[in-house]
Amino acid sequence: MGPAASPARQHDLALARRAASGDRAAQRELFQAQKHAVHHTLFRILGANRELEDLIQDSFLEIFRALPSFRGDSTLARWCQTIATRIAYLAISRRRPAATPLELVAEQVAADDPDAHRVAHAREAARRLYAALERIEAKQRIAFALAVIDDLPLGEVAQLTDSTVVAVKTRVWRARRTLMKRAGSDPVLSHYLAGLGGEA
Amino acid sequence: MTEPGERPPVEPMSDVAWARVERGLWARMDGAAAPRRRRVRPWQLGVAGALAAAAALIVWLVARTPDRPQVATAPPPPVEEPTRAVSGETPSAVQFGDIHITLDADSAVVMQHEADRPIALLERGAAWFSVAPRGARPAFEVRAGDLAVRVIGTRFRVARDAEHAEVAVDHGVVEVTFRGSVVRVGAGESWTSEAPGTVAEVAAAEPEPVLAPPARPRPRAAAPSPPPDRDRARYDELVGLEVKDPQAAIQGYLELAKSSRWADVALFAAARLAADRHDPRAQTLLSIYLRRFPHGDNAEDARQLLARVKGEP
Repeated sequence: MGPAASPARQHDLALARRAASGDRAAQRELFQAQKHAVHHTLFRILGANRELEDLIQDSFLEIFRALPSFRGDSTLARWCQTIATRIAYLAISRRRPAATPLELVAEQVAADDPDAHRVAHAREAARRLYAALERIEAKQRIAFALAVIDDLPLGEVAQLTDSTVVAVKTRVWRARRTLMKRAGSDPVLSHYLAGLGGEA
Repeated sequence: MTEPGERPPVEPMSDVAWARVERGLWARMDGAAAPRRRRVRPWQLGVAGALAAAAALIVWLVARTPDRPQVATAPPPPVEEPTRAVSGETPSAVQFGDIHITLDADSAVVMQHEADRPIALLERGAAWFSVAPRGARPAFEVRAGDLAVRVIGTRFRVARDAEHAEVAVDHGVVEVTFRGSVVRVGAGESWTSEAPGTVAEVAAAEPEPVLAPPARPRPRAAAPSPPPDRDRARYDELVGLEVKDPQAAIQGYLELAKSSRWADVALFAAARLAADRHDPRAQTLLSIYLRRFPHGDNAEDARQLLARVKGEP
């Protein structure tokens, strides 16, 4: 961290140091502050998932274990998300080929509510998207999830995945190509994929 | 159809799910038995029921009457920094200011202050809390998951089984906060998380929560009439000995149970401590207690404990 670190960064660093020393109050504060960022990252990569709660625990265990190495070069939130991304990667690698995505129950939608229909449709499309992602190589899947589904800039995805922008761009392109190929006979997924932009 | 570019929503987790994650995380941080979520099989439900009874959280306050000036105005030693207490395979007792806590085995509690209000966060397991009358001081609060019980000046019992919680009030009033709803529960009333907006009358008088003696500081001003005697002093002494030398405490309780007017409490304390420590004498002591005091203050608890010791459902 440079000499002109912002107060937020200084706070991050101080909190990390206290938590790393075993101060449970600081660990609790860190958990409360970062839990939604970690959850968001895991959900974006993995979708609705039975293992999500366990993976959040795994992420924070790793965060607390690795805290002594936090130097404040990035925000604490970004650093935690990087670890959550790594945990997601391990989870994907570990559970192949028997993925267990959470099955969504078809929702009862009011016939005269177009907004409810749109939401239900989006959910169904998302379910199909994550089902298709289950069969994509882990690194490509993560790059696609973060860059396209979460719409993060490629540079940030590169940071989160400890990779380069070029590598991320290539992975996203490959993932999208594979997905489009598999979605050929699925109009819902095809339409949805076409609508998802992303930088790559 | 979906709008172009519409992102799939990140489905938020419920407070209950977050509480579950947090509990599991701290337990894993302590290296406790892995509390990771698992699919529940039917046979596990029975086991869970038995464990739930063992893991009941009981909070007991001795603040029967808040109008004892010599207690209410005496400021306790402040609890300045958040402090965490963790028990291992056996129960342990800790003191935070004037709050005495007896932790069940494999339990963890964090004591901290929020704007001068003492807060106990029960991370896992179960604990007895004993608090001197608060008087004009900020109310003491116990939090367990989504449940918060604020002590206004009373004696009450809180039981927790995973996300389910119950509160029964013996004397006075407590304020129960649960997922945004706040209700006051008065003497002879009970509350359950199954119906958080309602308060029901307790069907039968709650038995004296006799597991509390270790957590009962019994300030002199709160002593029953007549004033403190030698047996009472000995009893308090043995309470303090429970953690340091439980065998000596059991022996002491048994001596005290021979002839004093504290026989009921002392004999049960011996049996309860033996049961807590998996001492083989527990079953015999509980049986003796029930023969001597079939209608004693602790009889109901003794029966329950005896059933547990025997491994009955």
